[in-house]
Amino acid sequence: MEKIAVGIDCGSAACKGVLLKENLVAATCVKPTGWSPRDTAKAVYQELMEQAGILEEETCVVATGYGRVGIDFAHKRITEITCHALGADYLLPKVHTIIDIGGQDSKVISVESGKVISFQMNDKCAAGTGRFLEMSAHRMGVDLNEFKKLLEEGKCCSLSSMCAVFADSEIVSLLAAGKSREEIAGGIVQSVVQRVMALAGRVFVESPILLTGGLADFEGMRKVLEQQVGHPIHVSQLSRYAGAIGAALKA
Amino acid sequence: MIQMKKELPQVFDSFAEARKNGFLAVKKIKDSGKGVVGQFCTYTPLEIFMAADLVSVSLCSTSDETIPEAEKDLPSNLCPLIKSSYGFAVTDKCPYMYFADLVVGETTCDGKVKMYELLAKKKNLHILQLPRNQFTTEAKALWKSELIRLKERVEKDFGVTITDDNLVDAIKKRNVERRLLKELYELSTMCPPPITGLRQLQILFGSQFKFDWQEKTDEIRSAIKNIKEAYEAGERPVSEDAPRILITGCPMGGVTEKVVKVIEEAGAVVVAYENCTGAKQMDRQCREEGDPLTNIADHYLQIGCSIMTPNPNRFELLGRLCEQFHVNGVVEMTLQACHTYAVESYTVKTFLKEKNIPYLQLETDYSTADIGQLSTRAGAFVEML
Repeated sequence: MEKIAVGIDCGSAACKGVLLKENLVAATCVKPTGWSPRDTAKAVYQELMEQAGILEEETCVVATGYGRVGIDFAHKRITEITCHALGADYLLPKVHTIIDIGGQDSKVISVESGKVISFQMNDKCAAGTGRFLEMSAHRMGVDLNEFKKLLEEGKCCSLSSMCAVFADSEIVSLLAAGKSREEIAGGIVQSVVQRVMALAGRVFVESPILLTGGLADFEGMRKVLEQQVGHPIHVSQLSRYAGAIGAALKA
Repeated sequence: MIQMKKELPQVFDSFAEARKNGFLAVKKIKDSGKGVVGQFCTYTPLEIFMAADLVSVSLCSTSDETIPEAEKDLPSNLCPLIKSSYGFAVTDKCPYMYFADLVVGETTCDGKVKMYELLAKKKNLHILQLPRNQFTTEAKALWKSELIRLKERVEKDFGVTITDDNLVDAIKKRNVERRLLKELYELSTMCPPPITGLRQLQILFGSQFKFDWQEKTDEIRSAIKNIKEAYEAGERPVSEDAPRILITGCPMGGVTEKVVKVIEEAGAVVVAYENCTGAKQMDRQCREEGDPLTNIADHYLQIGCSIMTPNPNRFELLGRLCEQFHVNGVVEMTLQACHTYAVESYTVKTFLKEKNIPYLQLETDYSTADIGQLSTRAGAFVEML
């Protein structure tokens, strides 16, 4: 019987699922986590099965992400740090550094052949996370897709607050002072990148570097990050699934 | 001489059963005529209180219950241990703090030093001037004279005389305690260890709150015997494959047990504690021959706390324990706003890197809000071992 592995990475913002058939990605699915990580994970799982046309009995499910504890149908639970390392190595073989900007935390992981050497995560605060970016976008009345477009011109203004709560009032002041949304969006991204750089400073950062997480396809952010790190930063089309892929590889 | 406190606090009736029992237990000691001395730090020479036949107890608090009350007087970005301890003093919620006739503080970290000034308004307080160097003649002389001053304060406050014979006897008794607790935690050098790290911590922590020396030492002896017998009978509470973790950093116990729990829930086992709850205070014996007060002073001054600069003794002990306990990884717990341990963590990280021992620093406080993040960090660390 061929080996079918499902990895579910249930983050604070989005629940990502990947189905691997003989170590190849056969199906992917992402849904907003919402209020019930368990139900969302189940829905993601079922959709993966439908996409791949597979029966439940044949699969092995591994859960990761902060919602992993609630996913009772998983056979194994592994932390997202280990999974990101494995998944990143799958997407970009020989990767040495992973920068993951997640919904509730950001992390920089140093890896060797898919194995974690050391890692840094941000403290219990939204600075430098997807949540910070999302809240700031909301303050400017745009959704994340529109926000991404605002970054295209590469404009920027300085935003001194890293705290999500303080940044919120700073954005209000900047808007009142006539700054464009493009400039403020650039400032928000700078702020996220600065926070990530503080984490990176405590880990041995070495090329190749892969950017993962829900914001990986924000080209404007990747560019800023690349300037700050001083090394090329790679993105894969499946970057946001890195954790889920790593989980499936652990099945 | 001071008036010893024997009455229950006014808020006593509002306490839950367990807390009431705690108060009644200390009241019983007080009613028997014994004085109680409270202290905060492993540098405090308990032999002096023991020699005066006083009961001594640690006042370092380990819960966030009284932090809101403490933050009325203290800044919120201060170490939780300091805030919590002060909070228990102002709310009369800790039987030991409440019944302490004398509270002994020490000049260790900046936060505590300034907190003691406020505490002095509420309690009968004595401060030991602890030097931050352990090796110069001047530092040693200062510390010795501070212990003489403490002895005199105890004699005056409690109307007793402490003789050299009393001190020698106390040194011997404390050495027995140290040796027994060391024997107990060294059981975890075995593979797999006969007890979990959580149980080891609870025994070490709990031993601070047993006040009868004979009972305490008997209990530790019987704990050692029971653990050994269970192990010989084939009981294995810990898997042979569990990665072996040493915990270093700030003092532990109470709510910070959460750090041990997340490590052990991730499949590892804590085998040793290089902190004030564990090896730091049990590892060495105090010299029994010669002038007792000099011996006590020399013994305590050599404790390797991060407030010392430089602090070579911590690294000597840490390195030795890593080898002795066959440690696979070290987790350092630093309490929020504990500057000396937080800064020294860089040196610990470098020290362990040279030895090729993986290291993780976890910063936490007395809340339980960070359990999720702690368990992800600890989980990932255990997975990478």
